[in-house]
Amino acid sequence: MSVFAPLNGRAKLLLALFVVGLAAAPIAADRYLLSVLILIFYFAYLGQAWNIMMGFAGQLSLGHSLYVGLGAYVAAALWTKFGIGPWAGMFAGMAVAMAFGAAIGWLGFRFGIAGVYFALLTIAFAEFTRIAFDHMDWTGRAGGLFLPVRAEQAHQWWNLRGGPLLFYYLALALMLGALWLCATLRAARIGHYWLAVREDEAAARALGIDVFAVKMKAVLISSAMAAVGGTFYAFYYNNLFPAQIFDMSRSIEMILAPIVGGLGTLIGPILGAFILTPLGEGLIAATEEAGLSAPGTKAVFYGLALMAIVWVAPSGVWPWLRRKLGLETP
Amino acid sequence: MTLKTSVSRRAVLAGAAAGSAALAAPAIVSAQAGTLRIGVLLPRSGLLAQAGQSCHRGALAAPRVLAELGYRVELVHVDTESNADIARTQAERLINDGAHVLTGAFDSGHTLAIAQVCEQRQVPFVVNIAAAPPITEQGLKFLVRNFQTGPQLVTNGLRLINNLIAATKIDPKRAVFLHANDTFGQAQRNAMDAIFPRTNMPFQLVESIAYDPRAQDLSVEVTRLRSLRPDLVLVVTRASDAIKLVRDMVRQRFEPMGIVSPGSPGMYDEEFYQALGPLADFHVSNLPWVNPKSAMTQALERSFAATNPGNRFAADGFNAGFTFEALLIAADAFKRAGTTSGVPLMEAIRATNLTEHVMIGGPIRFDEKGQNPNIGSACVQNRGRMPVVVLPEDSATMAPVLPMPGWQGRT
Repeated sequence: MSVFAPLNGRAKLLLALFVVGLAAAPIAADRYLLSVLILIFYFAYLGQAWNIMMGFAGQLSLGHSLYVGLGAYVAAALWTKFGIGPWAGMFAGMAVAMAFGAAIGWLGFRFGIAGVYFALLTIAFAEFTRIAFDHMDWTGRAGGLFLPVRAEQAHQWWNLRGGPLLFYYLALALMLGALWLCATLRAARIGHYWLAVREDEAAARALGIDVFAVKMKAVLISSAMAAVGGTFYAFYYNNLFPAQIFDMSRSIEMILAPIVGGLGTLIGPILGAFILTPLGEGLIAATEEAGLSAPGTKAVFYGLALMAIVWVAPSGVWPWLRRKLGLETP
Repeated sequence: MTLKTSVSRRAVLAGAAAGSAALAAPAIVSAQAGTLRIGVLLPRSGLLAQAGQSCHRGALAAPRVLAELGYRVELVHVDTESNADIARTQAERLINDGAHVLTGAFDSGHTLAIAQVCEQRQVPFVVNIAAAPPITEQGLKFLVRNFQTGPQLVTNGLRLINNLIAATKIDPKRAVFLHANDTFGQAQRNAMDAIFPRTNMPFQLVESIAYDPRAQDLSVEVTRLRSLRPDLVLVVTRASDAIKLVRDMVRQRFEPMGIVSPGSPGMYDEEFYQALGPLADFHVSNLPWVNPKSAMTQALERSFAATNPGNRFAADGFNAGFTFEALLIAADAFKRAGTTSGVPLMEAIRATNLTEHVMIGGPIRFDEKGQNPNIGSACVQNRGRMPVVVLPEDSATMAPVLPMPGWQGRT
């Protein structure tokens, strides 16, 4: 647990209880709650992937839906066209996403495209990939790619065919695996390099850090992680549409959890997902209960809640909560 | 009208380390005895809001008509926010809340997300609108679709173009197919590519042009159209791009014999009429439509006027009609099955045989895949800023007019 050194004993205990609680949750949770928890884990996982780019290395990407979409499409297409299972397809998806990530990184970092201009570059890549997939026969063009749902494959975990429990534990494993990976990376030399680059790139370069290589590692790891999330998405929903999976709104959804939870922190993306997804679901139920049936009512309250959260905890909820609960190391 | 019993919820602590966040985990609530509880999942906000709200207005008008017919239903309306994640979680919540049947979801992706939940939980799902063929090709046992697939829409749409040509005595030689490059548009393009060569149409399809529905204008596409000199422009649009298309045609003074949609929304939407005024007239949409001569349609129209005083049934007929029929199918099956239990209720739904309904076509029945093969199509022409059935003759209230009058001098 040395990778979790920034957390004190009480925080580690809470984290352990949290993990045990989630592992045991299906015993008591109903189907609806499980489906919400799956979404929470999914967004927490993707939040961690994006957090490596922005939270650790300080590179603003607003096109992460590109990597999710590529991971989803590559794995799904290999499965539907050649019968190649999702576990192998996942690695192919990671490779393709990393290739795109490398191209974006090389263009951005080699030519000094930084800040919002780098963000625009990531959006542009996601957008032209969406348009390309809209015209690709092999993946169903804009009409979508549908994964067959066969009764005889209902319980084949190795093909990611199964019920909510399979996807629950898979999503939980993804979230916890991402937490461990991010903690490991941040505690390693590369993590310190990322933080140095994030805080002052010129100073980091002056200290002899290979800034280009460090940033490239961030984009490669982040894109690979996002692609794994895409594979999960494809086999959970069993249909893909370029307009939906590559859409910029998906990128925005992805970055909300780490921003609200605490950018650059380990627990922030998880906490953010645990706040935002239930908030959305709760508001649907609450507005329904209150008889507020006008379309978009929930979105108004959701926006207000987001504003309130940012107002109370401008650096993210986790740093604020950590102080309040005394979970920091002295 | 939404009838809804109060649902108590238990707050669930989510995330021990993170503090608590209240999750609305609903208790199962039984509907009133003898009442079928139907969850209606529609995209009433977000990208698909216009169509979703149109469907919703049909659902609001439904209970009164169903009550008149002796059916007892209770509807729970949920906005999927044009988001598959929400569609899936809300399907789970509705079933937890005691919904016996789900209907929706307009979008094919959302529909499949909901269908997986229904399949696992053995709750019937009656699809109101969703055109992707794979929906009924997956072997789903708890799903039926009372809507045409993309290929069916195109097949019927093209057949009706022949009827339209015969009825108006026009002689088109060339046509161009212009379609939005979105999920629906692409599905229609695929169907067109496969079906058109087999239909022996009296005109040549000189080109198919895809456009990005998010484009600011369609001037480039219209310039290309003009250069191809088509007599007929066949379109697959949504309302916003149909408006852009007509405006650019007027700007470039391009006047074909007619603009005909072989099965898509756009040109009969209220937004289209409001934006274009007299320029919205004379365009033709070939698609399933409410039968204006059916007594049930007339009853639905009266109820629609009462529940949606700010909207015209004529413009909402397609979405409202199919949404009503989905509810009718569920209610009728419940009456026959005498139970809300999923398996027998689904058996009753699959055994549906409704001769009296609102959409043009034969009796509502479902084949072994859960698809209704008897849905008809109509030529719907815009006349006086209203969609009017002009073919088939037994449902028509006006005769079709083509070639369309020029853009200039319309009132």
